[in-house]
Amino acid sequence: MLHIKCPHCGMRSQNEFSYGGDATVKRPELGKEISDQDWNNFVYNRKSLRGKHWELWQHLSGCRQWIKIQRDTATHEIFKTLKANEEIS
Amino acid sequence: MTLPIETHLLQACVSEPVKPVLDNVVTFGAGHFYISQSDKGEMVMGGDLDGYNSYAQRGNLPTLQHVLTEGIAMMPFLSKLKMLRTWGGIMDMSMDGSPIIDKTHIEGLYLNCGWCYGGFKATPASGWTFAHTIAQDRVHDLNAGYSLNRFNTGHLLDEKGLGTKTWIS
Repeated sequence: MLHIKCPHCGMRSQNEFSYGGDATVKRPELGKEISDQDWNNFVYNRKSLRGKHWELWQHLSGCRQWIKIQRDTATHEIFKTLKANEEIS
Repeated sequence: MTLPIETHLLQACVSEPVKPVLDNVVTFGAGHFYISQSDKGEMVMGGDLDGYNSYAQRGNLPTLQHVLTEGIAMMPFLSKLKMLRTWGGIMDMSMDGSPIIDKTHIEGLYLNCGWCYGGFKATPASGWTFAHTIAQDRVHDLNAGYSLNRFNTGHLLDEKGLGTKTWIS
């Protein structure tokens, strides 16, 4: 069982969260001409890192906020959690 | 090379041996669960991904509980069985749930990946078309649709494959 520290609610069990994928993917800027390749990178292509991975989770059965988590994909260790609007440093 | 693939974790488990009760593989259509009985009598079961990127080759219990709840809904006697072992493997989950069998822009590098949880029954066809692709340096008609470029052009395959976002499907 993962234990995730929600920045709003504190330490909670994995059961309360759902996963939202890679948190480093940026949506192409609105109103600009975007190439197919850029859309492809945003929608489909992923680094799929082995090791430290920034990812989105939603505290679905808690405060329902989206949060960012830095987790090791090889050991499942969680290093940091951030609110959705906090920048990854 | 960045690919439209994420590495995810899939668990399976096996129970203590029991007398013959199941002479077939059974899948649970309303959810995601399969079960069969080994020659030694153990019930072999599995189902959903854990649902987050992982290379850990071991899973967590919430998913196992979810999967086995589906099993017990279908075959209540499973609740009496003791579990012998569980394990987790890592899966190359493609974004549309179908594999990629293609050449790449790098000479001599060919892709046969993104088979998600499955692909075992497709091995003869995938091997044959992949061998053709390598030997002739061009794709066969049968694997033309399984191109890497389909994500660029939007020609995704709708084969009821389940990719990285299984909860959406």
